[in-house]
Amino acid sequence: MIDRLSSAYGRLLAGLALAGCAILLAMMLIIVVDVLLRNLAVPGLPRGLAWSNEISELMLYLITMCVAPWLLRRGQHIRVDIVLRAIPPRVAWLLEWVGDAIALGCCLVFAWIGTLAAWSSYVSGAVNIKTLVTPEWWALSPLPVVFVLLAIEMVFRMQRLYRAERAPRADAVNAA
Amino acid sequence: MSSWQLAAWLMLGGSAVLLFIGMPVAFTFIAINIVGAWLYMGGEAGLAQLARSSVNSVTAFSLTPIPLFVLMGEILFHTGLALKVIEGIERLIRRVPGRLAVVAVVSGTVFSAISGSTIATTAMLGSLMLPVMLARGYHPTLATGPIMAIGAVDMLIPPSALTVLLGSLSGISISKLLIGGVMPGIVLSIAFVLWIILRVRLTPSLAPHDGGAVMYQGWERWQPFFAYVLPCLSIFGVVIGALAAGWATPTECAALGAFATIVFALIYRAFSWDALLRALQGTAAISGIILFIILGATTFAQILSFSGASNGLVQLITGQNLSTDAIVAGMMLMLIFLGVFVDQVSMMMITLPIFMPVVQALGVDPIWFGVMFLICMQLGLLLPPHGLLLMTMRGVAPPQVTTGQIFLAVVPYVGMSLLLLAAVFWLPQVATWLPKLIG
Repeated sequence: MIDRLSSAYGRLLAGLALAGCAILLAMMLIIVVDVLLRNLAVPGLPRGLAWSNEISELMLYLITMCVAPWLLRRGQHIRVDIVLRAIPPRVAWLLEWVGDAIALGCCLVFAWIGTLAAWSSYVSGAVNIKTLVTPEWWALSPLPVVFVLLAIEMVFRMQRLYRAERAPRADAVNAA
Repeated sequence: MSSWQLAAWLMLGGSAVLLFIGMPVAFTFIAINIVGAWLYMGGEAGLAQLARSSVNSVTAFSLTPIPLFVLMGEILFHTGLALKVIEGIERLIRRVPGRLAVVAVVSGTVFSAISGSTIATTAMLGSLMLPVMLARGYHPTLATGPIMAIGAVDMLIPPSALTVLLGSLSGISISKLLIGGVMPGIVLSIAFVLWIILRVRLTPSLAPHDGGAVMYQGWERWQPFFAYVLPCLSIFGVVIGALAAGWATPTECAALGAFATIVFALIYRAFSWDALLRALQGTAAISGIILFIILGATTFAQILSFSGASNGLVQLITGQNLSTDAIVAGMMLMLIFLGVFVDQVSMMMITLPIFMPVVQALGVDPIWFGVMFLICMQLGLLLPPHGLLLMTMRGVAPPQVTTGQIFLAVVPYVGMSLLLLAAVFWLPQVATWLPKLIG
């Protein structure tokens, strides 16, 4: 039962990552169109997209949000494993539990404070005023959602650790 | 113990402990920031500020070149265009001792000019050129060393995702930092080629003369260069030219570069939707790792500052009556030491909140400092036992190449990188000449 749930949840996270890929492609195209329109006068079209920078930076944030839970599922959030490799495997496995428990707590706290920040922003009617004027809670609301997703994945991660060999995981150690 | 010392121990010591028990870097910073924001930024109000700062940290136009520079390299590799580039370079380079190792370095330099990802360059060259070199009797150290070394140089030669990140986090001009990496990167590439030639001249058995290789003549020899290598390099020319001339921001250059690479693949009928999807997924993964750490870690510097720890540490360092050179040298040594244990993004996140105020207080040229910082990070990619490129090579090398040979293979290239660091330290013009000339 739990395996089926975990597998279905993994597909959801992969779908979210695909959405991140689509946003990445769209971000590139928007910036290219903006540069081309600014430098080439096309009759009937504006000289550049005034909102391009603002939308691009929002897209960058959304890409980060969309892929973060998927990266956790794939063990790609990088870490330093030099100590875990040097100590007895069983002790390293126990330290994995300590790290996971703290990370789970962090996800729940961040989901909570993210919800509070988004809610208070919604209630107060705060807005971001740049080229576009947008309610601040629009930008704040994906944060708690993603941290809830991360917390759920952290539970599945701990379940996988429980079943795994009593040794440290083989997670990623670098992004360069 | 004064309050700033306590804050410094809590923030820096606490993050070190969590890092070394193997918590993912991003979650380490999030945990420390939750505690720090509660203690030093006013309890619940501090936590709400932490959430807002985290969102703002990655909603930043200055960071958008990171995925776009990575995408350029990923498209090049997933469409198979990189193979054509290697063929083009291989046909041109003839009668040189250690010819294939030289081809690997030159190809790696060309890839560096298009790719913003060191791991992609190393994995690509390792999977394509290493089997050929080993099959032709090259010694494993000569076959693996140049590939790892030139992979690390990718970080210096623009476009480079990590250079953008360094510029964004440190407040150093991203354009000048990107251009500042060109000269040291090219110097290292030339030094690697000269070293290979010298090494094979002294010990010819390291690289048997490849008599079996087909030597093309006339137009056949030059055709792939004009068909593939030159157009590839023209992407670099457009990106860096527009950046240097101030016509476009780093973000716009990166987007144009990524778009040009897709057009390039379309023209050469190398484009497929599957290749694009794999390139986008690879890019999303690398960028997501970096950006999520930024989201978790940005407030770290603010809390250090609010608690008084930054100011206290800066006064402690500058009050030791040490010369500016001695302090900068100390910082570089610390970076090299950190490079043995931690990844490049963490190196920046841990050190920049302390180093940059010191650099400003001492009036050090930020471009000079930034380029040396990049060279130290590049060294970290090659330092045993955890250098990323050593691990990447272990992943693509056949079992007959031992891990000991891989470690041994990088030693001369690490030595040359250290010499370059010393050269930039004593002759800052190596790093600052080009950015000053252009900017």
